[in-house]
Amino acid sequence: FQFVYSHVGPSYFHSDFLFKFLVIGNAGTGKSCLLHQFIEKKFKDDSNHTIGVEFGSKIINVGGKYVKLQIWDTAGQERFRSVTRSYYRGAAGALLVYDITSRETYNALTNWLTDARMLASQNIVIILCGNKKDLDADREVTFLEASRFAQENELMFLETSALTGENVEEAFVQCARKILNKIESGELDPERMGSGIQYGDAALRQLRSPRRAQAQSTQECGC
Amino acid sequence: MQKIKSLMTRQGIKSPQENVHDLRPIENFRIPSKEELRELREQPTDPQAQQEIINSIEEVYFSNDSLDIVKYELEKLPPVLSLQELEEYRDKLKQQQAAVSKKVADLILEKQPAYVKELERVTSLQTGLQLAAVICTNGRRHLNIAKEGFTQASLGLLANQRKRQLLVGLLKSLRTIKTLQRTDVRLSEMLEEEDYPGAIQLCLECQKAASTFKHYSCISELNSKLQDTLEQIEEQLDVALSKICKNFDISHYTKVQQAYRLLGKTQTAMDQLHMHFTQAIHNTVFQVVLGYVELCAGNTDTKFQKLQYKDLCTHITCDSYIPCLADLCKALWEVMLSYYRTMEWHEKYDRDEEKTASSVSDGSNVMGTEETNFDRSYVKKKLEHGLSRIWQDVQLKVKTYLLGTDMSNFKYDDFIFVLDIISRLMQVGEEFCGSKSEVLQESIRKQSVNYFKNYHRTRLEELRMFLENDTWELCPVKSSFSIVQLHEFKFMEQSRSPSVSPSKQPASEISRTVTLFEQYCNGGNPFEIQANNKDDETEDVLASNGYESDEQEKSAYQEYDSDSDVPEELKRDYVDEQTGDAPVKSVSRETLRSRKRSDYSLNKGNAPILTNTTLNVIRLVGKYMQMMNILKPISFDVIHFMSQLFDYYLYAVYTFFGRNDTFESTGLGLSSSRLRTTLNRIQESLIDLEVSTDTASTLTSAEERKEKVPSPHLSHLVVLTSGNTLYGLAERVVATESLVFLAEQFEFLQPHLDAVMPAAKKPFLQQFYSQTVSTASELRKPIYWIVAAKAIDYEQMLLLMANVKWDVKEIMSQHNIYVDALLKEFEQFNRRLNEVSKRVRIPLPVSNILWEHCIRLANRTIVEGYANVKKCSNEGRALMQLDFQQFLMKLEKLTDIRPIPDKEFVETYIKAYYLTENDMERWIKEHREYSTKQLTNLVNVCLGSHINKKARQKLLAAIDDVDRPKR
Repeated sequence: FQFVYSHVGPSYFHSDFLFKFLVIGNAGTGKSCLLHQFIEKKFKDDSNHTIGVEFGSKIINVGGKYVKLQIWDTAGQERFRSVTRSYYRGAAGALLVYDITSRETYNALTNWLTDARMLASQNIVIILCGNKKDLDADREVTFLEASRFAQENELMFLETSALTGENVEEAFVQCARKILNKIESGELDPERMGSGIQYGDAALRQLRSPRRAQAQSTQECGC
Repeated sequence: MQKIKSLMTRQGIKSPQENVHDLRPIENFRIPSKEELRELREQPTDPQAQQEIINSIEEVYFSNDSLDIVKYELEKLPPVLSLQELEEYRDKLKQQQAAVSKKVADLILEKQPAYVKELERVTSLQTGLQLAAVICTNGRRHLNIAKEGFTQASLGLLANQRKRQLLVGLLKSLRTIKTLQRTDVRLSEMLEEEDYPGAIQLCLECQKAASTFKHYSCISELNSKLQDTLEQIEEQLDVALSKICKNFDISHYTKVQQAYRLLGKTQTAMDQLHMHFTQAIHNTVFQVVLGYVELCAGNTDTKFQKLQYKDLCTHITCDSYIPCLADLCKALWEVMLSYYRTMEWHEKYDRDEEKTASSVSDGSNVMGTEETNFDRSYVKKKLEHGLSRIWQDVQLKVKTYLLGTDMSNFKYDDFIFVLDIISRLMQVGEEFCGSKSEVLQESIRKQSVNYFKNYHRTRLEELRMFLENDTWELCPVKSSFSIVQLHEFKFMEQSRSPSVSPSKQPASEISRTVTLFEQYCNGGNPFEIQANNKDDETEDVLASNGYESDEQEKSAYQEYDSDSDVPEELKRDYVDEQTGDAPVKSVSRETLRSRKRSDYSLNKGNAPILTNTTLNVIRLVGKYMQMMNILKPISFDVIHFMSQLFDYYLYAVYTFFGRNDTFESTGLGLSSSRLRTTLNRIQESLIDLEVSTDTASTLTSAEERKEKVPSPHLSHLVVLTSGNTLYGLAERVVATESLVFLAEQFEFLQPHLDAVMPAAKKPFLQQFYSQTVSTASELRKPIYWIVAAKAIDYEQMLLLMANVKWDVKEIMSQHNIYVDALLKEFEQFNRRLNEVSKRVRIPLPVSNILWEHCIRLANRTIVEGYANVKKCSNEGRALMQLDFQQFLMKLEKLTDIRPIPDKEFVETYIKAYYLTENDMERWIKEHREYSTKQLTNLVNVCLGSHINKKARQKLLAAIDDVDRPKR
């Protein structure tokens, strides 16, 4: 599994890319819990509504490349909309989260999507996450209709559970992988302003001390 | 007869005794009668003739056969008997007999003295024999008596008894020896049972016993064997003693101590024990660390076993660091507890000893007690001395471990956990030997500074990210919001003095009197408990990791969305103030009061103005303060770093909204020298300016740059150039007021910070507050001034004023149009201000500053306009007054600000026109606020009316004079 360093600054671990990510969706869909689960591998059961925007970062390995995710976890509540919207700009990827036990959160997806497409970069890669998969008994949104919605809107789709951790890492990794693919195919240009993508410090670091970089990479997977 | 014959022939008898013997059978030998003897004497005594006669005796007479001589002689008689012949014959016989008798008599006579002599000897012999017979008889009689008194059997019994007794003694000895030789088995049994005193006792007894048997040759071998055994016991005892170090057991130790006392080696035991403790500490830590290193290495490579402890410590991986440390502490605790309990045992033992000593204090044991007293005091001293030595050992081992790994990249909560373990260990040290744990403190300080530096650098980077992403939108919080509601400041709520060491050990604080040693004496481990608590604690800290999780916080933010909530909220605050019930959080009081009077704080209540980034900084401050509580030794560093957070925020707000080189260069003194000093200081110490220019050129060292952050850039989303939004006034207000809010929070926290600040460093804090925090509100001036300078078109007004004729000859009743134009500008400004205030609450000080700046700028523009006048009449001067009055009248309807700033400035300038020469000279000297140009113009305008050329020269000289010292 991955070695997690949520508090590690950008200068510590080398990474090949830095992606700006967003987590959006209605209040109470479990966005912060998803992020917490992703970073700390733990479920946060006493969480409250997020104020404004929170931040978390993690380095993941996608297809041999180290990608640092800079994730902005936005408040879902309407009153914070003006604050959160300003963080959309230049996001390379987004997790659009709804709650499978609440149709209301599902219905709001179109609005969130419009906002994201409008405010973030044009090529933003969005993955739709039907959270609270563990509460299958209270399900109000079927997998089928959600996946149809995702298909229509060219979204990736996963049902996740921040409680059990199911598909949480996958959601982030799949999104990052898609972005990497787009970079490789030339569809996305990291050099362009507002792409939400930056080259990491790996190249520079490797030039300076290749041995150390190697040692670090082994440490990352070894532990 | 034969014999007699031979005797006679031989003519000499050798021994009379032979004769006696020979004679015995012829006891009845007939002694010759006298008659015969006479007859014999009558016969011739010729020996020859006699011999012939004897020889003529028939042979038969000498025969020994018992033949009947008579018969023989009769038979021999011739058949015709003749008396003569018979006679003759008889005579012949008679002759023969006489010769024989004569011969015998001669012989007898010859032998008489010998016979007498012999007889005497026989007699004496007979007497001797008779005596011997008497003795014999007596002896026999005695023997018979003895035979009657002691039987032979009983004598035999006695002899046997004696023999038996000897044999029994021998058997006993042999048995003892056998037992002695068998003791070995028993001894090893006893050793197995760990009955050392018993074994030694036995061994010593054996030795003693053996010495009594030393005349047996087998004993010497036994003796040496016993000596060996004793040594072996001692060795085992030593092993047993070493076991004490890891797991103290009273009965076990009592036995061992008893054993050593028996050996008379109490002191040696103490020395050994200390050596064992030192050894135990080393072995324990080595084993624990080795275990983890090998576990993590995942292979059974033995290379680690050969490593030095110090090198081994560097092989610990990050994720095994904490469990290993916990185990290390647990193991060391066991050792120290054992030591503690050893001391405890000795104290108790001493007391018992004294008791018994005092109760049985007879003189006989004086020597012994003296010796034990000496031993006891030696042991006591040794143990007390050992405390600090052992603690020192422990500290050094832990230090090596602590410094073996670079912890700077640990998670916050992990690091806190490490600190917590160490602080607990220091508590142990304190209780153990009253140590201040300098070694641990120093190493933890080193790690903390290192960690915190790294942590802080990351936080600063993150802060920059926040600042650069912030669009300076208001973050909506409740009006009653206070930072103490934030999870990060929960520790302040728990009325705990900030100087008390960190959270997390409430249990130990409550039961302060119970030491850890008392608490965990009978099992358990203080470091174990902590490990169990770890999950909870991590949760806590994680929760603070940017995600709030507090009921308190909930109440601060939730329910806000429901609109019905707001008026109630407002009402409550209002009531609070009416009754004079000071709100608990006095931080927001100023803003609270201002809301009532402000025109522009309408719909948003009096909620504090803050942004997402402000909240982030505040949370960080909370975390830093928690850090500080835990990390007393580096509290200064933490506060220093904390001040950098504020510095950076202030610097960002200034560079985003306040820096304006064109206005700054006008020298209007918009930012006070204090503010400028502060900004310069921040720029020099904190801002890495090279990044923005060229990354390749690294003039400053990398180390130094590490401590710095690049200057932040304002988000592209923020537009500061549109007049419609009053040049980003909303964002400016949010940014500037959030800074002021942040400063207020810092003010609020000052006493807390001051309390943890080391006395020597207090000046730093004071300086930070007096030179940085307090300058926050001063930023308003340059920031809002930019708005004020752009909001009103002053240039346009100057142009309009230039078109006015001032040398009119009559008093005008209508003001000039430039006044209307100016007022229109102000109305528009007011409108836009209202627009903005719909988005963002504009606090009274802010609107006041804005108005003040605008009016001041307008008034100065007016004066400048008046100073541009070429010609002016008295009536024209009156028109100026009229215009200004009109302006004031209308303006006072637009704003609450009183008095109108720089009103005097304009009025005085206008009226100075009327002054006489002398008065004007004095006036010029007194009013340095006007520029040389303005004063010169005043003098020039007056020329021709009431000032002549000479006076003008004089006044111009005065202006110059005034000017000069000004520069």
